[in-house]
Amino acid sequence: MFALMRNSERSYQLKILLIISLLSILLVGITFLAAAQELTADEIITRRDQNEYVIKAYSESKMIIKNSGRTMVKTMRSWQDGEKALVVFTNPRDRGTKFLKRGDNLWMFFPQAEDLVKISGHMLEQGMMGSDFSYQDMLESDDLTELYNFKLLGEEKYKGRPVYKLEGIKVPGKEVSYYRRVVWIDKERFVGLKEELYAESGRLLKEAVVLEVDKIEGRWYPVRMIMENKLRKNTSTEFIIQKINFNPELPEDIFTLERLR
Amino acid sequence: MFFLKMAFKNLTRHKRRTLITALIIAFAILIYIMTEGLMIGMTEMSFNNIINLESGHLQVAKKSYWEDRKELPLDNLISPTEELENKIEKTTGFKAMTKRLNFSVRLNNGIDELPVTGVGIDLGQDRKVFRLNKYLVKGRMPREGSSEIIMGTKLAELMGFKNGDYAILLFRTDEDTFNTIDGEIVGLFNTPHPSLNESSVFLPLSTAQSRLNVEDKISHYAIRLTEQDQAIPAAEELNSRLKDPYHAYSWKDAAQSLVTMLEMQEIETQVILAIILTLAAVGIINTVILSALERMEELGMMKALGMHEREIVYTFMLEAAGIGIIGGSMGIIMGVIGLAIFNINGIDMSALTAGGDMTYGFPLKGTIYAGWELNSFIFVFLYGVFISILASVFPALWAARKDPVKAIYHR
Repeated sequence: MFALMRNSERSYQLKILLIISLLSILLVGITFLAAAQELTADEIITRRDQNEYVIKAYSESKMIIKNSGRTMVKTMRSWQDGEKALVVFTNPRDRGTKFLKRGDNLWMFFPQAEDLVKISGHMLEQGMMGSDFSYQDMLESDDLTELYNFKLLGEEKYKGRPVYKLEGIKVPGKEVSYYRRVVWIDKERFVGLKEELYAESGRLLKEAVVLEVDKIEGRWYPVRMIMENKLRKNTSTEFIIQKINFNPELPEDIFTLERLR
Repeated sequence: MFFLKMAFKNLTRHKRRTLITALIIAFAILIYIMTEGLMIGMTEMSFNNIINLESGHLQVAKKSYWEDRKELPLDNLISPTEELENKIEKTTGFKAMTKRLNFSVRLNNGIDELPVTGVGIDLGQDRKVFRLNKYLVKGRMPREGSSEIIMGTKLAELMGFKNGDYAILLFRTDEDTFNTIDGEIVGLFNTPHPSLNESSVFLPLSTAQSRLNVEDKISHYAIRLTEQDQAIPAAEELNSRLKDPYHAYSWKDAAQSLVTMLEMQEIETQVILAIILTLAAVGIINTVILSALERMEELGMMKALGMHEREIVYTFMLEAAGIGIIGGSMGIIMGVIGLAIFNINGIDMSALTAGGDMTYGFPLKGTIYAGWELNSFIFVFLYGVFISILASVFPALWAARKDPVKAIYHR
């Protein structure tokens, strides 16, 4: 009897618990949905950056560079910690070529010549290792909401995924390469799927398209993308991340010039 | 008078030997005159190219701009004011001035990109200072306010452009933001200044200013004077009136590296001349020794009859001077003929460089002509005679100091 009573009491408690939890899930869901609908352009960008902006990582990647019918494949390993990054090429032709980025400075090391070069001035405008990514692109800071005024252009479908389409116009007085950028961001995963970069005259300069996203360590991350320089025909650079680890053990002193040699 | 007569007779005694020795000197002088003529010609043409196409006689820029001008920066530009322009106009010998804005451009043809210099020109004034419009081989100059551009035939060829095509100019504004101009190529030029043909694109100043977001700013003023020689004093005079940060630079400041290079070349020419004339001097020494040996008995006899050593030395020196004068005259005649041929036909630089466009660092191309300078003719003639006399002194002394008895019975 006692036990029965206790049992019914328990089931009653369970019911309440169930209702409460259901309610709360619903409530959270509704607020989440509401919040999602009312996300400002800046918030969307920030949420994308939370996914895409990497503070600390180790990755192994591949770059397929196509230029007027010629195809080059470069593989690399890279380490990153905040403002510092190191890239070491592993394909036979460029094996041992290294890039070191520390803040706004970029160095390159050529193993054959045992030569260390600081990349500056006009060299920054060149495509990195013949790709469509310029050295300048590598150096540019990622805090886009400070450099651009973003505006939500609308919501649409892109390759079957619901997306936000946003437009960013340069904040007057800020020194950035691209005057205007248009981004397509996945509404559910908050990953950029496509980006167009424009000159002040309105001409499309570069276009980046994400071909594949993957959930890595709980976050959606673009793992295959293609970059095209729209001013040059028949060139494209495909970038494939084969392995990425967001919380690696970084060797000590890895980001020093001494280690670069 | 006696020595003179004897020296002359000695010269005519062995006409062939005299002639050959004189020829050595003549050739040395010919080489010098030709080299010098070529140098003068190249120097003048290079300077003219720089003045007529690149810098004008004077340039006014901010000091901080001038230091990094090769980097084509967009900071430290000048905001034109009437006050500044009035000051410039008051320069002695002032003829005209124009505004220019230089910036770094990546010229794009849809396939390749090439870094070039973009030059915004004030179309109304530019032709009063520069001669660019004279070298247009196709089309016309751009129109004010349009996106029309002109470039060198060499650059157009390299990028596969024809007159009437559109070229994309990609550059960064003063806030480092990319901007583009779809430039319609309305003219092609072929100047004697190679780097201008290969790496410059000209467009209207106002277009450049608005696309670079620099308002009405310019990188420098270029000024033409009535006389080229006035440039350096005029720069000094203007500087005494200009306030910091503005500064006037003469075309020589603009072509500093070229001026230094030419000075080095001048030294080189002198060294070559010295070596050639030293070789000629050996020829003279040889000739004097030979004639002394030949005339040993004669000399002994003259000494026995009371001729002084000094007088014998004079005779030989006069003889050598004669060879020098004959050689020098021949050399100058040959040189003048050579230079005349050179000046009528000109020398095709591409023949010198085996069809290539190598210019040995000179800002000139195509056919070059030699320059003339009377001073260098006089100098080289006197130098030739002097070397001849100098070379004869020692062998003459050697011959004159012989004991007359031993000289007569020297066998």
